[in-house]
Amino acid sequence: MVKTASVTGKPIQIKIFPQRLLQPQTAEKLLNEIDQVKGVIRMLIGGKNLPRKVTSGPGTGTDVNHPNLEIIHVGDCAFELHVMVGEVVVELKDECAKEELKKACERALPFSFEFKEGHFIKKKATLTDYGKYGFKSKTDERINLEDERILGLIDPHAKAENNLCIINSEEEK
Amino acid sequence: MAYKPQYYPGSTSVAKNRRKHMSDDVEKLRDISDEDLTALLGHRAPGSDYPSTHPPLAEIGEPACPVREVVEPTPGAAAGDRIRYAQFSDSMYNAPSVPYWRSYHAAINFRGVDPGTLSGRQVNEMRERDMEEYTKRQAETEMTDWGLAGLRGCTVHGHSLRLQEDGVMFDMLDRRRLEGGVIVSDKDQVGVPIDRKVNLGKPMSEAEAAKRTTFYRVDNVAFRSDKEVVEHVQKVWELRTKYGFVPKA
Repeated sequence: MVKTASVTGKPIQIKIFPQRLLQPQTAEKLLNEIDQVKGVIRMLIGGKNLPRKVTSGPGTGTDVNHPNLEIIHVGDCAFELHVMVGEVVVELKDECAKEELKKACERALPFSFEFKEGHFIKKKATLTDYGKYGFKSKTDERINLEDERILGLIDPHAKAENNLCIINSEEEK
Repeated sequence: MAYKPQYYPGSTSVAKNRRKHMSDDVEKLRDISDEDLTALLGHRAPGSDYPSTHPPLAEIGEPACPVREVVEPTPGAAAGDRIRYAQFSDSMYNAPSVPYWRSYHAAINFRGVDPGTLSGRQVNEMRERDMEEYTKRQAETEMTDWGLAGLRGCTVHGHSLRLQEDGVMFDMLDRRRLEGGVIVSDKDQVGVPIDRKVNLGKPMSEAEAAKRTTFYRVDNVAFRSDKEVVEHVQKVWELRTKYGFVPKA
């Protein structure tokens, strides 16, 4: 897999927006189906936050213990969901994989969903990214990142280890 | 002939439901015990006395006042109860009550109410025992479907979100959930665990919720399909605009 941001090719981005908020099992099934599609560069999971503790009101600090805070397995990776999944943005290498992606969603989702093409994840480094990662060197002004696919996937202030999951493709194994 | 107030215009099911809520002509669907309700509200321990903020009015000896003679105090005010609140969130996916209609219901049918209405939630402040009586009425009747509504003192997020896969409105603090076909709650309205699991009954089916809702929705009963309501709303807007220009009118 090429470890450069999508600006180098002609990839497309698709937003999958299900009619309902997904339970962890359905989200796991959907993400695994998408993972099987050839040509997926990266995925961004969005949804409603599931806090560990009550953050406001008289109960502040009380444990929530939300049953949907589950560990799910996608490909060879396991991670804990922090959200109730409401949308998935997928970046594909090109148009060819679009139809296969749609079929994967139809297999995984028991209800209807929106399937929109657009620009949802940033494709090149911005000032904030340069502020966080810096230049490669004094003479090389490219961003100091080994894998540029993480651009736009996490908040600039968030820690990558809790929010990012790198799944090896078959060729890389 | 006795006067019967006409609360709301319109002939659609939504307009009829709105009239029912305003006139308190609502069907009781479930029983929630006083102790369970007190636990859900979380203001005092179930079974304990009502804490007071002033002595009972009978002991204070009120000054001579014609208004005080005419207006009988509510039980909560007479006993000197604290002011406490109850807040409901309602899903826009055909929950039975629009927050405004919870306010109308409280203000028309109960006394000593201070309703606060927001787009997706409604808070009502009253003397504690009056508030419990009012909350019980809304919680036990068709005004509340516990799958599509929730008692939420804080972190109310859910009104405008898509429903969960099981058809229940999202609750970030997991105060109530669907278990074995019924909605159960094991936390109070601010997310603090309580010592019991309160059974809040079966959630309404999609068809039933669509029938009982007071929400106008394009995919159920569209607001514009009710000509009388549109005419009424336009008239109110016209009159209040004119009134703004001619205060003496």
